[in-house]
Amino acid sequence: MSTTTVPQARERAPLPTQGRRIPEQYWGYVLLAPAVLLVLGLILYPVAYSFWLSFHSKHAFLPIETFIGFENYIELFTNSEDFWRSIELGAIYAFGSVGLQLIVGVSAALLLNQTFVGRTFIRGVTLFPYMVPTVVVVILFRWLFNDAYGFFPYALDLLGLDRDAFLWMEPEHVMLTVILISTWTFFPFVVIGTLARLQTIDPELYAAAKVDGAGVFRRFIHVTLPQISSVLFVIVLLRFIFMFTKFDVIWLLTGASGLGYFVRTLPIYTFVVTFNQLQVGAGAALSVIMFMLLAGFAYVYFKLFRREENL
Amino acid sequence: MDGVVRHKFAAVSAIYGMAALLLALCGFPLLWMFMTTLKPDAEIITATPTIFTSAPHFDHYVRLFEQTNFLTYFRNSIFVAGTSTLFSVFVATLAGYGITRFRFRGREGIATTMLFTYMFAPIMIIVPFFILMRGYGLANSHFGLILAYTTFSLPFSMWLLRSFFQSIPLELEEAAMTDGASRPQAVLYVIVPMALPGVIAVSIFAFIVAWNDYIFTRVLISSDELKTLPVGINDLVNATVIDWGMILAGGVVITLPALIFFIVVQRYLVAGWGAGAVKG
Repeated sequence: MSTTTVPQARERAPLPTQGRRIPEQYWGYVLLAPAVLLVLGLILYPVAYSFWLSFHSKHAFLPIETFIGFENYIELFTNSEDFWRSIELGAIYAFGSVGLQLIVGVSAALLLNQTFVGRTFIRGVTLFPYMVPTVVVVILFRWLFNDAYGFFPYALDLLGLDRDAFLWMEPEHVMLTVILISTWTFFPFVVIGTLARLQTIDPELYAAAKVDGAGVFRRFIHVTLPQISSVLFVIVLLRFIFMFTKFDVIWLLTGASGLGYFVRTLPIYTFVVTFNQLQVGAGAALSVIMFMLLAGFAYVYFKLFRREENL
Repeated sequence: MDGVVRHKFAAVSAIYGMAALLLALCGFPLLWMFMTTLKPDAEIITATPTIFTSAPHFDHYVRLFEQTNFLTYFRNSIFVAGTSTLFSVFVATLAGYGITRFRFRGREGIATTMLFTYMFAPIMIIVPFFILMRGYGLANSHFGLILAYTTFSLPFSMWLLRSFFQSIPLELEEAAMTDGASRPQAVLYVIVPMALPGVIAVSIFAFIVAWNDYIFTRVLISSDELKTLPVGINDLVNATVIDWGMILAGGVVITLPALIFFIVVQRYLVAGWGAGAVKG
């Protein structure tokens, strides 16, 4: 901003002009220019570029680029089992992990909304999993789940069970493993959003319900749930979007390994097609499909919940 | 009355039981990680581990810094995350202030677009982003990473600061300006301090986006001496037979800055957390 006299601009009732250098309506543009340019140039332009690339056959490194129209899409929709499988696995992963995050997150929020000794401390610790970098979360759980030396097989041992009764990094279990790891690290998001809303509920509502003889469970169903339902909807929608496009948890756990085949969700498949199979055009088509799905969810979000601006 | 007391006691026990469960769920894995790093290898590579070690030591940490490029990755991460946090907070503050204090065409459109881009995931743009950066000669550089992180945290940062600025009455800066302050002075000394929880929330968010990111560094950076921590440690994991003590020591070191940053500023954050200063 200028060091000389700056305009005394106000939103509701502009003051009389005094020594203005830049007309008021331009200040908004000046202040927003850096943000808008960055987002436009480095997020929205790449999305547009994806659309363009998706109509081409392009190799990742060789300068081969041919226009092929909708070929990439047609190929994916009609001819690629891997594509439909990635949608299916992505849906299982997203529904599974969002469902668990919701159950654990709302329970934790209800608990943290009670008064008890040590609440502030536990509330702080509850947010820890969310602050731990994903790469560390994955390494940590690979260690806890390790067949030979991990804590979880040992815990089975302690319970008197066969320590090999449940192996976490097996094709038939690996989906459950990524869902549980994702739940652990992302459920605090649900806690934060839900707790903020719980704290604004009028205590008199509970008092009235108690007078009417409602027990804990009925108070939750008839008082709490209606109050938090709209915030829960927003949380579920956002979580679903984030989980459906989640890349690093799954990739870091399994990478391009054989095991990774059993959790090859849409984002993972996109990465594999682009950087391992070097088909940039097809990869771009997958990004575009992901973008369209996201836009659909975002449309619901904006239509229904534009007012819930705090999330 | 007896029944009521017993009922109350049951309720209180249930609350503390649940609290203990939650604490264990969130705290135990992290505690286990830290305790493992203090153990000698013989107590790590065993089928019957214990939580406490008979001979605590910091050899794994020493080895991590002396025998790997971990220190280089650490420096790179601090530089890249620090710089992009500064950029992001500065640009988002300008934008958040501009969008709440001035009326102009396209204002609502910009706000909505920002909220929309908040939902984007890096995987959706990584391919064209990489091609773009390669075109500008920024593919294997920290500047390319800084641009990526600054931009990726912007939509949410701006959105959050917008709501903070909205809650600060216009009269405050008017009063300051009537007392002879210029608008930049009014903003710096009156508005920013009032929006401090928001600014802090935004800086935590921007820092963590950059500190935790894996995919941008994976795709953009090819030389080992430019890698940041997440990619660096992951390559260590994949390189050889896993030296668990050392790798987990790396995990502790990577986690600490984010955790300390968070604990120190948490008390300023009541409003920021309520506003959901998070993504991911």
